[in-house]
Amino acid sequence: MSKNILVIDDEENIRESFVLALEDTGYQVDTVGTGEEGIGKERSKKYDLIFLDLKMAGMDGIEALRRIRKVNKKTPIYIVTAFYKEFFDGLKAVEKEEISFELIKKPIHGDEILLVAKSVLEGPIGH
Amino acid sequence: MKKYLLKLYVTGNAPKAEQVIANVRRICDGEFCDQYELKIIDVLRQQQLAEDEKILATPTLIREKPHPARRIIGDLDDKEKVLLGLGLKPHAE
Repeated sequence: MSKNILVIDDEENIRESFVLALEDTGYQVDTVGTGEEGIGKERSKKYDLIFLDLKMAGMDGIEALRRIRKVNKKTPIYIVTAFYKEFFDGLKAVEKEEISFELIKKPIHGDEILLVAKSVLEGPIGH
Repeated sequence: MKKYLLKLYVTGNAPKAEQVIANVRRICDGEFCDQYELKIIDVLRQQQLAEDEKILATPTLIREKPHPARRIIGDLDDKEKVLLGLGLKPHAE
């Protein structure tokens, strides 16, 4: 059965980069531009992996993460962010609430998106 | 000097990260006995180390020694997949 991936990012070119990177994998990739849409999508379909941008206008990634985790504690959620100390302060607060997430570093290239997705969904790939 | 040197980059110290660490330790204990050193790096608190090591995502497990270095990302639960990803053969049981 095909794996389902959800990409939540307010930048269209980023969403497109995920779709392009994963287009030959057989994974079903859905993309949305806001946290609210992401929550709505997540409630309507079972996803095997979620990529969630940290810095978004409106509902940011941290709030979206909290709301998704209220109803879904299992699906791996990868927060897409630059590794800046200032960005991590909000994530440390979420960590204290025992909300699980993983990190994927921005900027990210197509082959890196593919590597992470395959590693998470099919098992670790040595490189 | 230990034969195997590994580094594990995780996100924070919430229960999920603790579980990943415990899994990796279990695998290492079973395969390497006391011939390994495992360094744990919390990317949330040591982001510069993660930058320097060019960590792409968490969790990442790096086998630094024996050379050449090799790394894997993602699900670190399955012993065989972890060892194969690191370029190591599981011991016969």
